[in-house]
Amino acid sequence: MIKFNTASVDSFVISFSNEISLEVSQMIKFYFQEINKIEYIIDVIPSYTTILITFDIFNISLEKLQNQILDINFTSNNQENESTIIEIPSYYGEEVGLDLKRISEINNISVKDIIEIHSSQIYTVFTIGFAPGFAYLGQVDKKIATPRLDSPRRIVKKGSIAIADTQTAIYPQDSPGGWNIIGLTTFNMFNKELDNLCPLSMGDKIKFKPISQAEFINLGGEI
Amino acid sequence: MNGFEVISPGILTLIQDKGRFGFMSKGITPSGAIDEFAYLWANYLLGNNLDLNVLEIAFSGLTLKANKNTSISVTGADLSFSINNKIYKPWQTFKIKDGDILKFSKNIIGQRAYLSVKNGFLILKEFGSTSTTLKEGLGGIEGRALKKGDVLPFIDSLSLPIKRLKSIYQPDYNQALKLRVVLGYQHENFSKEEKIKFFSKEFRVSKEANRMGIKLEGESIQADIDGIISEGICFGAIQVPKDGRPIILLKDRQTIGGYPKIGSVLSVDCFKLSQAKAGTTVTFQEISIEEALLETKSFYKQFKI
Repeated sequence: MIKFNTASVDSFVISFSNEISLEVSQMIKFYFQEINKIEYIIDVIPSYTTILITFDIFNISLEKLQNQILDINFTSNNQENESTIIEIPSYYGEEVGLDLKRISEINNISVKDIIEIHSSQIYTVFTIGFAPGFAYLGQVDKKIATPRLDSPRRIVKKGSIAIADTQTAIYPQDSPGGWNIIGLTTFNMFNKELDNLCPLSMGDKIKFKPISQAEFINLGGEI
Repeated sequence: MNGFEVISPGILTLIQDKGRFGFMSKGITPSGAIDEFAYLWANYLLGNNLDLNVLEIAFSGLTLKANKNTSISVTGADLSFSINNKIYKPWQTFKIKDGDILKFSKNIIGQRAYLSVKNGFLILKEFGSTSTTLKEGLGGIEGRALKKGDVLPFIDSLSLPIKRLKSIYQPDYNQALKLRVVLGYQHENFSKEEKIKFFSKEFRVSKEANRMGIKLEGESIQADIDGIISEGICFGAIQVPKDGRPIILLKDRQTIGGYPKIGSVLSVDCFKLSQAKAGTTVTFQEISIEEALLETKSFYKQFKI
């Protein structure tokens, strides 16, 4: 059951659940796409359990807009998920995976197993934010889940693949960050040359594909 | 192409328009002129379309040389604007001739001045807007602030009669601010005592203030919870982090966040806030969503939007 909540004069939050789950995420993805088809919407921000909608108060009333949203019929579509898994070429070398050792010690697990576990899972984009193109991917297997570093690094390299608790992400650009770095990719998360700026959208499915150092360099990677 | 040549870029001069919309789901902040009151008047006085780009001039130091004739308007902060060393007050249009030197030399009142040129600057839009977002390197000239040697091209225009905004309509940026607040649904995460404190105590604008947001100092406000599941953040949202000092989020805000929010400052009041200097007194006043709607509509109606 969805619930409308006030945010500001021209925006409101739709709450879908109090808990993060794949089912909720799938529902939000569906609503996100449907809401974008409605006229007089200015911007829509889907997140883990909510969608924030900003609308044009001069052309549509809150009531009318919310009624249109209530008319949306959620139908789950499982087939689509199978066919659209985006593969991220991932180099998990220890010289770039700066925190592989730390994760290994904290979780008492070998580096080989960390890579195996991280790359065998299919992840879902729960939300995008914090920085442009920064996609929060879940859920990371509890066996390798690791809390953020006590003090964040001043610079985390663009393309760094990282883990924080049960989430994983790819840094879209060089930025400060406290996530545990396990590898590097050449996959571009934020690029002005792309017509939608970021190749991933909320609800997309992701898989990390391990590659060798040579393959990584072939793809244009720098160590 | 000719236009204005940047002789000195000043502390932070950005090209801004209404903002870039539709990309917040990708983590892209909307940007846009932070003080829409001054921005809209800048275009309105020239008879421009109200969504045209302008220069947002933060603090002092900008010097431009005109390489052709045009008309401009200057609104917002009084940064001791001069043409060929003759000083003028803002909130009016000016005729500019080839060779004129335009300067913003000293911060008198307010934080940001706006300079609009007849028909706007000829700058390519990126993703629907020319607004500069420094973090993303989007918009403006190469996604950055102006620098020495940049040329801001515009087309020739006929000389326009001088127009000036009546002084009674000009905002006084030195005044204490009473910000009107629509309570958000998370106000339930603040106790009655904390809400009374929030709406009765005086706060001050701190030095931590930029296009992203403005942090206040004063009484500490505590939420019952440390955080929420990260969700989208609207313009004017009042986040209350653990240190108890509210942050009002503005045009370059992060798109999502997990701090509890007591509500949102009415957008038209955020425009005034963006011109307040550190130390300015701030109080909050609760208003209903219906009043907020009326106030917002009447604000934009003055520009016949």
